[in-house]
Amino acid sequence: MARRLDEEYDYLFKVVLIGDSGVGKSNLLSRFTRNEFCLESKSTIGVEFATRTLQVEGKTIKAQIWDTAGQERYRAITSAYYRGALGALLVYDVTKPTTFENVSRWLKELRDHADSNIVIMLIGNKTDLKHLRAVATEDAQSYAEKEGLSFIETSALEAINVEKAFQMILAEIYRIISKKTLSSEEPAATSIKEGKTILVSGEANTKKTCCST
Amino acid sequence: MNLKQVSALTKNFETPWFKSFKATWFHQRRRFALSPQQWRKLFTPEGKLQDIVEFLKIIRTDVSIMFLRFVYSGFIYWNTWSYDLIPLISGEFLVQGVDPSIRAEVWPFLLGIKEYENLRSRVRQLSKQGNGEGYSVHLHSDSTTDEAIPNHGEKNDPNYTKNKSVKESNYKAQTAEDFTTSKTSIRLDALRANAEWIAYSPSLATVPEGQARGFADDVGLQDYGNLEPGRIFHAARLVAILEAYALYDPEIGYAQGMCDLLAPIITVMQEDYEAFWCLVGFMRKAHHNFRIDQAGIWRQLDIVSKIIRLKDLDLYRHLKMLGAEDCFFVYRMLVVLFRRELSFEQTLCLWEVMWSNQAALRAGIRELALGQTTLQAPLTDDLLLYAIAACVLQKRKVIIEEYSSMDEILRFCNHMGEQLNIWKLLDQARDLVVTLQDKI
Repeated sequence: MARRLDEEYDYLFKVVLIGDSGVGKSNLLSRFTRNEFCLESKSTIGVEFATRTLQVEGKTIKAQIWDTAGQERYRAITSAYYRGALGALLVYDVTKPTTFENVSRWLKELRDHADSNIVIMLIGNKTDLKHLRAVATEDAQSYAEKEGLSFIETSALEAINVEKAFQMILAEIYRIISKKTLSSEEPAATSIKEGKTILVSGEANTKKTCCST
Repeated sequence: MNLKQVSALTKNFETPWFKSFKATWFHQRRRFALSPQQWRKLFTPEGKLQDIVEFLKIIRTDVSIMFLRFVYSGFIYWNTWSYDLIPLISGEFLVQGVDPSIRAEVWPFLLGIKEYENLRSRVRQLSKQGNGEGYSVHLHSDSTTDEAIPNHGEKNDPNYTKNKSVKESNYKAQTAEDFTTSKTSIRLDALRANAEWIAYSPSLATVPEGQARGFADDVGLQDYGNLEPGRIFHAARLVAILEAYALYDPEIGYAQGMCDLLAPIITVMQEDYEAFWCLVGFMRKAHHNFRIDQAGIWRQLDIVSKIIRLKDLDLYRHLKMLGAEDCFFVYRMLVVLFRRELSFEQTLCLWEVMWSNQAALRAGIRELALGQTTLQAPLTDDLLLYAIAACVLQKRKVIIEEYSSMDEILRFCNHMGEQLNIWKLLDQARDLVVTLQDKI
């Protein structure tokens, strides 16, 4: 089917939102794609996704963001959606230490089920609840460095850093893609223009240890 | 309503009047519900409420079948009774299965709560003995509850004993950590329950602030911030009942989505113990939607897929081409039984029709037959699956012509709520049951 003109894009990047229940994944998504926030956002059942097309590093990127259920029992269903994702936003709630403690479990999930080169960004959400903060920025920052993740704190409610977070991860994905296409010396531009999701791990299914370069 | 009247109505069923009426009913938005007047007729002359399910078991009497037909009104049978009910109609008539004023009385019967009257006083007594966690424990630790809950269907089910022992062994295996995790999820979901129920239960919405906060304290619910008292109370009730359920059914504990199922129940059932038992009755069927292994979900998705394949091979082929023939795109509809797609009122109608099918089947009735008519719709335990398939089939043109990936279909299905008309959906589901049930 022919794409409409307003849907023209250079790249389609699939990104997943993961993290414990109630950390604000759905609201990060709605803030980014529709500039909306809903206090009564219900738990996500299964998976949902939304898209937004934006400019990143001078390119038109269509970001397809998959929102997943946070409860552990649905993980078998949601982890199927990690496949083909170029990026993952791993979200915790800065007011709930357990959601930060569980980040390592989520990382393991990604390493088990996602493509090995997936770009992972750690997000501490709900910074608007200043008086309730229970996870220090420095702790999360050092954890992210140790694990080789990028890190940012956001407030979906106040629309702080949400745009920046998505911009950052999409830019990082773009840099990896362009580096990869340069090094592989393929006329990549044409295939990319097809608008297909590009797997960073490419055609090879060989498992590499994650992220650390 | 006596046998004579029933046969008179059955006769009407085949009159030209009925046939001409049938041609237009499909397009009508108004439907007849089980009215308070009709419901009252189901009482014994002494004024005692019949145990309708037990009653159905004994004999297919006019009264019991009438009861089911009313609730079954999304299906063909409502027509028969409409003749009788026409004089009762005045002004606005809501689209529904059961009149809201009698829902609280009818639901326990639809959900198969046996010996409801006895249970009522027994559990009321128990619930008075404690609040909050104590209340939860009382509901579970009472050794008679297993007998008190509606098991007539399960007792005929060869898996019943097996399920029961699985439940028991899992109960032992459930760790304190599991329950703590459940408690956290329950509170989280209770507090983000939306306010759509308020219009249906103004009395619960206007509960005094002191009472709401007191109950929230009792169940250990905090972090409710600036919520209005009615909503704090609503959330606290969700917590109390879901925690009780998590203890009662440790195999499931709490799964996200169950809050969606309970919210309408506590809106209709104002007493917590009644709501709890209704949830138990509801979960008897919905249980497999929330199992950790998701096996029940895949089995049901498989049936939806089969219905689509048998009804519309072209659509099925298109889905297969997209790798979507497993019908995962209807996952949410299935897990929370259309609660996210339909409006509050429409959801209740669907559930009532679904429950009435299940109630009749539990009572051993396979078909609500009316004379020798060819318009019989066999009863099915899987009405929901036929409704889901109908929902996909309704959109076949869009799916085939506009969507070229499973992702797009998933998004389409997750947002089709506003376009759905429950009565149309049930009509189509009924047709699918008639033509395909034997093949599924």
